[in-house]
Amino acid sequence: MSAGFSAVHWNRRKLIYDGILIAGVVLFIGTFMTLGAVRNPPADMPAWIGLRIKAFGTCAFVMLTIILTIGPLARLSPCFLPLLYNRRHFGVLTFLVALVHAYSVVDWFAVQGATADLMTEMVASPGYGKFIGFPIKALGLFGLTVLFLLAATSHDFWLAFLTPRIWKALHMALYVAYGVLVMHVALGLMQENRRLFVPIFLGGSFALVALLHIAAAWREREAAQQHDGWLVVGPPDSIPEKKARIVTAPGGERIAVFRDGNQIGALTNLCAHQNGPLGEGCIVNGLVTCPWHGYEYRLEDGCAPPPFTEKLATYRVRLRDGVIEVDPHALPPGTKAAIHIGSG
Amino acid sequence: MTRGHRTFHRLLWPVLAVIVALGFTMALALRPPPEQPADSAKTRVNALMPEPK
Repeated sequence: MSAGFSAVHWNRRKLIYDGILIAGVVLFIGTFMTLGAVRNPPADMPAWIGLRIKAFGTCAFVMLTIILTIGPLARLSPCFLPLLYNRRHFGVLTFLVALVHAYSVVDWFAVQGATADLMTEMVASPGYGKFIGFPIKALGLFGLTVLFLLAATSHDFWLAFLTPRIWKALHMALYVAYGVLVMHVALGLMQENRRLFVPIFLGGSFALVALLHIAAAWREREAAQQHDGWLVVGPPDSIPEKKARIVTAPGGERIAVFRDGNQIGALTNLCAHQNGPLGEGCIVNGLVTCPWHGYEYRLEDGCAPPPFTEKLATYRVRLRDGVIEVDPHALPPGTKAAIHIGSG
Repeated sequence: MTRGHRTFHRLLWPVLAVIVALGFTMALALRPPPEQPADSAKTRVNALMPEPK
């Protein structure tokens, strides 16, 4: 921990984010249910529940798609960074919407007195050996289980308890869940509903997620120009005052290059606390401050101010022909590496 | 995200994306044909039948 530490709790920005999120979900499901009921009025209770299943299922899938696009969008443009900060609440709400979808499926069987059929389909379906006809509810249950695991471990307590490394690896399972849920829809709704809209929506969502990830990776690779093995950052003025520009080393490591007046220094983009994105923070009272929990580091050597002991890896920086360049090889944590330029 | 995570991420995504894309394409290609209305089916059968002489 360092001076000025304050854990991120509820704040105005988070409340607004959550308010918009909940309003969006209510609007989506309300519109879906209303349009569905108007176009094809449900005749009985199972039909109403069927409409609810589709509304919540579609909403959860759209939310999951949006969640997976936020990361690459934030890498492509800083405009999307505000979406990134509260993404965990987005994930928890997605799980809750998916849970209502799953509950509605059980409800659909229950109101018809056919719960045993649901159990048979899950446990002993002959469809397990087939592609078309594979029990889609098993795929859905797998996706829901992953969403539950991620929602349950989304709190900072679990990040600290599991360590950032294991926590991040666990949360990578979201990609697997997304793939399984695409197949849940492809083998379920897409087989029943012959309208062209379904494959366009499903394939389009999947393609959007995939293409954005490819575009973000491509952009980082393109941006990583080199001079004699040094990464080109840009003119000093291209680094916002008291903020950073993030460059990516050939190995994929992100480096945050900060400017504080006429001092320029490069630190690893990973905060020593919980691997927070340091380069998305700013310099407060002369110290680089992590946006997640306020951990602070000196720009010149990456050390937390006394009495704290955290140290970050630093990188050599140079000014060459009016352009700031950074050596992609990390120096031992706590090594002085920042430079002072003539004008700032 | 550490370098290890990033490497894993870079391997996982393309493999997963190819599997899902393949699965999606197969699911699309193997969709059962739409059920024809009884009347149109009858008309089609009639059209194939030779006219009685």
